[in-house]
Amino acid sequence: MSIEAPRRAGTAATSFAAVAEDHLDDVYGYLLYLTKNWALAEDLTSETFETALRRWRRFDPRRGTHRAWLIAIARSTALDWFRADARRRRREERAEAGELDKERDQAFGDGFSPELEEGLRALTAGEREVVALRVVLELDGDETARLLGITVTAVSTRLHRALAKLEERMRHDDVA
Amino acid sequence: MTSPDLIRELTATRPAAPTALRARVREIAAQEAAPKASFWPRLRLPVRRFALVAVPATAMVAIASAGVLGLARSDSNVAALRNGYLEQETLEKALPPQAVPSPNLGIDDQNLSGTAGAATILRDPADQNLGSAVGPTLDRAQRISATLTVEVADSDGVSRAAQRALDLTESLGGHVVSANVATGDQGNAALVVRVPVAKVQEAIVQLSALGRIVSQQVTIDDLQGNLDALERRERSVRAQIALLSARLESDSLDATTRAQLESRLRTLRQELRGLRRDTAATNAEARMATIQLTVVTPGVLTAVPVPSRLDRTLDEALNVLVWEGVIALAIAIVAAPFALLFLATWLGRKLYRRREEDRLLAT
Repeated sequence: MSIEAPRRAGTAATSFAAVAEDHLDDVYGYLLYLTKNWALAEDLTSETFETALRRWRRFDPRRGTHRAWLIAIARSTALDWFRADARRRRREERAEAGELDKERDQAFGDGFSPELEEGLRALTAGEREVVALRVVLELDGDETARLLGITVTAVSTRLHRALAKLEERMRHDDVA
Repeated sequence: MTSPDLIRELTATRPAAPTALRARVREIAAQEAAPKASFWPRLRLPVRRFALVAVPATAMVAIASAGVLGLARSDSNVAALRNGYLEQETLEKALPPQAVPSPNLGIDDQNLSGTAGAATILRDPADQNLGSAVGPTLDRAQRISATLTVEVADSDGVSRAAQRALDLTESLGGHVVSANVATGDQGNAALVVRVPVAKVQEAIVQLSALGRIVSQQVTIDDLQGNLDALERRERSVRAQIALLSARLESDSLDATTRAQLESRLRTLRQELRGLRRDTAATNAEARMATIQLTVVTPGVLTAVPVPSRLDRTLDEALNVLVWEGVIALAIAIVAAPFALLFLATWLGRKLYRRREEDRLLAT
């Protein structure tokens, strides 16, 4: 059992503003990979930090790092959006939604080769997620496993499959 | 592209938040309020640590409370024992040695019922006034029961005393309800006999003479009140029956009224039969007195040494612990189905959410 004194706002090491500044790119990158939609990723990033601010006082440093905590909130926010989107799609016609998606192109920003971008878009959200966490954000296996609620072995397996699929896709594009 | 190249390209092109987004997040972060000053610090207690502390703490509280209660109760038990022995000392000084009864700490002076009920300790079986003190009131119905313990010299004495008791019962017009005689080093006999109420005094006197009196108790419960009530009700019912019978003889009754009166008459007659049964049973109870006779040898009734304070405390503490365990077990049994239901619901919900997430992320 630990007894803590209340945090003081403004202290550089513990303020929410400092944590948000440090990890904004990580959260945005993760959401971008997950949703393959930059506008949506921006919206969800804002929502994530709003939620994180509300829960800031409940953060327990013994349970994980600030980055893992923020990404867990981002994941939950994204999943809530996916659920709502799935419900919406069941109500609306698929064609309209498909057209809307085509408008949101160039999801992964600058620096990616067209083949890589196409390969990433062909992966499922779950596959992109594990690539984002392990490769792009360089989270370790334990932290990723905790975030996703699966074992470390399952994380390795998923990553291996995602990269293999990506490679296969890119090789196919090269041949084409 | 090979895996290392792929990974290199992925890490090299790590997305960065656009400026507009960064500004938006800074605005959000700026809303962080200063923490309110609180006298009480926040407690963080992981579940595992809480369990590690709570379980032994609960056990210690249970043991401590058992100890405290055991200590408190051991005092009250000693007081009762001491009072009993003081009473014996007083009696020994007042009465001849052969007539001194041992303190019967189990004497139940709660056997008081009705207006004429009384429990009496018989001190001297040779006292001829004994009968008038405890005898039945002839003009009232009463339930009389007596408990007698006498001590004889040895096991042979037990057999002889038991046989004399049985012979006496028959000679007084009574009967034996049960008899249990054990011989051996610590012989003893337990007899239950019934004798006519008119002979109960004589029976008690003669049975008391079989050995040294250890304890005696007579209980008288008045049944007259019950009988009087039964009789009053019977008179009333008879009167109602007579009235109804007279009305039914009339020719001017319509069919409906006649049927109602006849039904009422049947009910009253049934009640009258019941009243007569109850009256007969009460009278039968009042006709015979019950005597429980116990014949013991000196080895059976030796003085029990007063246990030490520690022994008494431990005994009482163990009793309390047993009851605490029973209560905890009862709570666990009642709570177990709810706990299982909660656990099943939680697991089910977790599994459902996992599958749903996999489904959502598979697109």
